[in-house]
Amino acid sequence: MVISCAKSCRLVWVIVAIGVGVCCHRPPNTSRGVTVEFQIKPKPVRVGPVVICFTLTDAVNHPVTGAQIEVEGDMSHAGMSPVFAQANEVHPGRYESPLSLAMAGDWVILLHGALRNGEKLERQFDVRDVRPN
Amino acid sequence: MNQISIQNLDPTPFDLMQVPVLGPLFRWRYARPFLQAPLLLVSVAMILHGLFGPSLAPKNLATTLSWLHFRGVLVLVLLCAGNFFCLACPFMLVRQVARRFSRPRFTWPRALRNKWVSVALFVLILFTYELFDLWSSPWWTAWLIIGYFLSVLVVDGLFKHATFCKFVCPIGQFNFVASTLSPFEVKVRDQDVCTRCLTKDCIRGRRDATSDLVVIRGCELALFQPRKVGNMDCTFCLDCIHACPHDNVGILSRLPGTELLGDSLRSGIGYFSRRNDLAALAVVFTFGALLNAFGMVSPVYAVENWLGKVLHVSHEAPVLGLIFAAFLILEPVLLLGSAGLLTQAWGGVQRAFLPLVVRYSYGLVPMGFGMWLAHYSFHFLTGLYTIIPVTQNFLASLGFPFLGEPRWTLTGLPANAVQVIEIGFLVLGFAGSLAVTHGLADEDFPANALRAFIPWAAVCAVLFGASLWLIFQPMEMRATLMSG
Repeated sequence: MVISCAKSCRLVWVIVAIGVGVCCHRPPNTSRGVTVEFQIKPKPVRVGPVVICFTLTDAVNHPVTGAQIEVEGDMSHAGMSPVFAQANEVHPGRYESPLSLAMAGDWVILLHGALRNGEKLERQFDVRDVRPN
Repeated sequence: MNQISIQNLDPTPFDLMQVPVLGPLFRWRYARPFLQAPLLLVSVAMILHGLFGPSLAPKNLATTLSWLHFRGVLVLVLLCAGNFFCLACPFMLVRQVARRFSRPRFTWPRALRNKWVSVALFVLILFTYELFDLWSSPWWTAWLIIGYFLSVLVVDGLFKHATFCKFVCPIGQFNFVASTLSPFEVKVRDQDVCTRCLTKDCIRGRRDATSDLVVIRGCELALFQPRKVGNMDCTFCLDCIHACPHDNVGILSRLPGTELLGDSLRSGIGYFSRRNDLAALAVVFTFGALLNAFGMVSPVYAVENWLGKVLHVSHEAPVLGLIFAAFLILEPVLLLGSAGLLTQAWGGVQRAFLPLVVRYSYGLVPMGFGMWLAHYSFHFLTGLYTIIPVTQNFLASLGFPFLGEPRWTLTGLPANAVQVIEIGFLVLGFAGSLAVTHGLADEDFPANALRAFIPWAAVCAVLFGASLWLIFQPMEMRATLMSG
């Protein structure tokens, strides 16, 4: 069976429309009022133990206390072991977590957990160019 | 070593078609779509997750399946069985459906009926993989899959037969070259039956007696079974098996790599020694294996930064281009050229330089395959279980959390255990390359075989040493090659 040229064109347009729609899609911004100031120590970052530090502040710049945050470190390549640690609040609104980076390269640090009011917090930070020892 | 002694080693090949379940499955007319359909569903899931799922590669089906599991399973199946990925290729299922609506009208231009386009695309994919860090981007990985589907639809929508498979598909070319080392090939069981056959349905297709329409397709890749040699260009599509009215085509065991020896006229291929394009494919396959692994170890970044400073270039593309040129042009020219000249000088060989180098370049394929196996099996085995949490996460995102919370701590086998397997693959590849190049020297120059063999053995040793060095380098997964 051979379909007409008009039908073929329509099919192509549908495919193009789906493609354009998909192209324009971007993941939603997950920021919701809480600002996260992220740091990693020591610098430059090398393979081995590091400390993840972050400060949580609300919309009026007050520290956000009592959050339960898990820190996850992933490589940018699939298949590598992620590392996990629980963050401790060392000052009001300021949290720290030790983490051991097992490999050189680009890491992505994820913070996930909940604020005291139950609101979920999800953030992602790139830690590029972790150097070998 | 020659063809006769090889045949004597294996007088009664094992036939996969005689295996319960597998035999009836492969004989079933709808075996191919049956195998393609699950892979098509997985491809759609990968595309959707790549576009709409997590942007982090380790948490996404598109990147995890593409760059860990697909590549790992692919090379292991090629090593242990044959080109069964092409058999179950989901792109061809879409093509088949599209061809029900629109039949192609054109024939692929004669000037392009070779491997040059696919060699260029193979290099392009390796280049874009490094330049755009495809392994770290679910989004671009999804678009690569979509691009592949669209390319198949456009090429095979316009051009007749299996144009995309034979002349365009870079994955297919990879599979064709690697499957020269597979233990199974699609082959006639009894040549006498073919000699008596009048209809040649395996190539022409089986026709309906009344309407004379083709009801079962013959080989779309122009491989005439009685004169087909080995797996080059064979997609294991089963068309010839279904079309043969005498049930005379099987999936037979053979000694891997033997098709790299000998230089007989091969149906749909011609002579290996006259196919510069095929030799270029073999060279890109072999040296590309080292290049692809080099892109993931620490020294590459030092080299790139050094090159960037020397050339006063801050963009990655030109620096990467130079590294590609060094690996895929300069290194092969130096190594193969030196070996060719030495073979002529020491072995007293009269054969012209280029045909000599072309012929022996196929001998390096086992070493290249060893490196691909080592590299891909490393990622596959060390990340073996990561598919579990990624699938849990994917299903949960669709509203089906019946597999539970994703267990992100599941990864795979320990890297030090996998390294032993990697070394095993490299040794296997090295041994295979030595065997093939020695076999070629023995065939071509029986009086001076050792002298002709030594230069090529030295090339194999250099590649083996480089491969070993590579797998002992610290890995470095960086999306930005040139740091500030």
